[in-house]
Amino acid sequence: MKVNLIGTVIYREWRTRVVKRSFLLGTLLTPILSVGLIIGSVLLTDGVEVNHLVLVEDAPGLITRLDAASGQYVPRCPGCFPERDNLEYRFVREAPEDSVWLAQGHTVLVEYDESVLQNAAGYMVYEKSPGVQAKRQIERDLSRAMEHARVMESTELDWSAYQRLKLDLTLFDRESTEEGREEGGGDEVRGLIGFLFSAVLFMVLAVYGGMIMRSVVEEKSNHVVEVLVAAVRPEALLLGKVIGMGCVALTQIIAWSLLSTLTFGIFQSLFDAGWVNGSMAAGTEDIPVDLLTVMAQNEALSVLLDIQWGVMILGTVAFFIGGFLLYGSLYAAVGASVQSEQEGQGMVVAIILPLMFAYMAGGGAMSNPDVPVFTWLGYIPLTAPVIMLVRLAIGVAWWEAVLSWCLLILTARLVLGLAGRIYRNGVLHDGGKSVWKLWIQWMRKDER
Amino acid sequence: MTTALHIDDLRKSFGGQCVLDGVSFEVTPGSIMGLLGPNGAGKSTLIRSIMGIVTPDAGTITLGGKPWTREGVQRIGYLPEERGLYKDMKVGEQAVYFAQLKGMEKKEAVKSLRHWFERLEVEGWWDRKVSDISKGMAQKIQFICTVVQGPELLILDEPLSGFDPINARRIIDVVRSLAAEGTSIMLSTHDMPSVERLCDHVVLLNRGRVVLQGASDQLREEGWNGSQEVVFRGNDLTFTNALGAWAHLDGIEPTPQEGVRKAAIRLREGVAPGSVINALQGQVELQEFIKVRPTMERLFIDAVEKEKSIPESTVS
Repeated sequence: MKVNLIGTVIYREWRTRVVKRSFLLGTLLTPILSVGLIIGSVLLTDGVEVNHLVLVEDAPGLITRLDAASGQYVPRCPGCFPERDNLEYRFVREAPEDSVWLAQGHTVLVEYDESVLQNAAGYMVYEKSPGVQAKRQIERDLSRAMEHARVMESTELDWSAYQRLKLDLTLFDRESTEEGREEGGGDEVRGLIGFLFSAVLFMVLAVYGGMIMRSVVEEKSNHVVEVLVAAVRPEALLLGKVIGMGCVALTQIIAWSLLSTLTFGIFQSLFDAGWVNGSMAAGTEDIPVDLLTVMAQNEALSVLLDIQWGVMILGTVAFFIGGFLLYGSLYAAVGASVQSEQEGQGMVVAIILPLMFAYMAGGGAMSNPDVPVFTWLGYIPLTAPVIMLVRLAIGVAWWEAVLSWCLLILTARLVLGLAGRIYRNGVLHDGGKSVWKLWIQWMRKDER
Repeated sequence: MTTALHIDDLRKSFGGQCVLDGVSFEVTPGSIMGLLGPNGAGKSTLIRSIMGIVTPDAGTITLGGKPWTREGVQRIGYLPEERGLYKDMKVGEQAVYFAQLKGMEKKEAVKSLRHWFERLEVEGWWDRKVSDISKGMAQKIQFICTVVQGPELLILDEPLSGFDPINARRIIDVVRSLAAEGTSIMLSTHDMPSVERLCDHVVLLNRGRVVLQGASDQLREEGWNGSQEVVFRGNDLTFTNALGAWAHLDGIEPTPQEGVRKAAIRLREGVAPGSVINALQGQVELQEFIKVRPTMERLFIDAVEKEKSIPESTVS
């Protein structure tokens, strides 16, 4: 009977929120918009690149010489300015007025003087910023040309000798395990992915926790609560509300995952079939490139391909369940103790503080996951849901994850019991004394 | 006979303040009991204790002859004074939800609800949202949600508030018929006329204690102070002289009938009504000699006033 009543409460909480136009609309539109954003970024970054004509004013004549045949200044090191789709260079000794070179179609002017070899600094003039990526490319090309000039100045080295002597060290990651050495690395990317998951979890806990609080406050203000607590034990009612709202959140997360996969799949098919402009633009003129290749080539988008979806989704669901039982019951207790949503907001800040701290600490755990403080935060139930997702993404011993989850569930069970007592006493309370003091009083009461 | 509800020496304090101080009474099957008392007398705490919302400090509650259990509470229909509905739910859907919380299967709940919706003439509102219906209509829905599972005991806290006279009459009829069918009813109200019309028994609470309880008729009989209403044709002075030492005259007033007067008298202690009738006959033309028993309102006020005169420290 008791289970049936909790089930009835869960079903009502779930149904009244899910079978609603606003929920359905939000659930349908969000994945379409998110995938749309990814698609947009693919198209923007790979399909519609802005071309820049860069005018370099090489006043000291460090990197250019006059080509007698063409009468134009050309680089002394042609290899330093590789052919790029989005960049083209012109060289002069003295640049005209801004209005003139702009009228000539140039978008960027680079100028420097003799001191450039010592200061390694010059100016980039533009009407509209060429963007970070183009700026880096220009800096890289000119740096190489300057290096070339320096080497040429030296009597002891020639350019080819310098290039032979030059060393760019790359360290490949190898993890030493019991089975031997395994390919490692990519911690930053994985940490970022874990952080993204923990950010989503944080958001869901905060948003849906807030909904639980509002729901309890509403039941108090519309006087439904007395009928409810007369029929169902307040502790069971609280559990039903928390699980019901958790199911709403899970429904949304699952729906988003499925719809995103579906939308992405459809777009991938269209892209790979060449029906989307970006697929041709991304590759060479003759060879179309598939979407996954385009994403892999893009530094930002390639992150999405590195996600260990299975582990992360399982971890997210497990820690969501524990985290939601813990924080959801606290939100319900707040709702039961206050007379209005505004009054509840003040208490919510205190409740959510450990979670916010965990979220901010998650940024640190992303780059230094094995610092002892993060290991401990991963075990502390109030911070574990967020921190463990970051650690899980980077890689953590299975027993650590299980231990952290078990501690979380045990604490959630304990907090549910205490929150139930607060809920029972608070839900028919009309305000007055300090709510925190009342919480302590109510938590001590063990009633029938 | 097994009682529907038996309360024995129930006590409850909040923060050192005694709210229920040894309350004892019972509700017999099929009876309508009025729970009366001024604001703050402890009625809500008493009802919440019965419903398991509040845990008493001491005392026992017996439901249908068995000790109090959660399962026993499932068989109580409870209409609280502070009541409401979910505004964003449909009326029928919501009524089914409340019925399910009372342990009914959905199919059974829908069938019973359809019957009650028809009986109280709200069948057209099943698919409407609560936000679209009037306050009176919402009150009817709440009443239906209370009685839908056919409870053995019905606790109604101010059931008529918010109803117009026609719908109040309809609810009273339903309550009467439920009692006639065997449902025991506990009615908490300040509406004294409805107590007089409905209740077989009353319990009057004041400052957490039962200050008066018993069958309504018996209480009114016991509270009778010798008041009589006399309708006569004759001279006022002759009438007053005839009363003599038998009774006090509280007042005389004319009636719509010409020459006919109506007097309010109080018999002196130990005087039988027959003696007064004998004294009046022959002096005036006696038409009616009616015993005037106190109203429930009078009994209520007298009992509370009497309690007020007792210092609080000696009460609890």
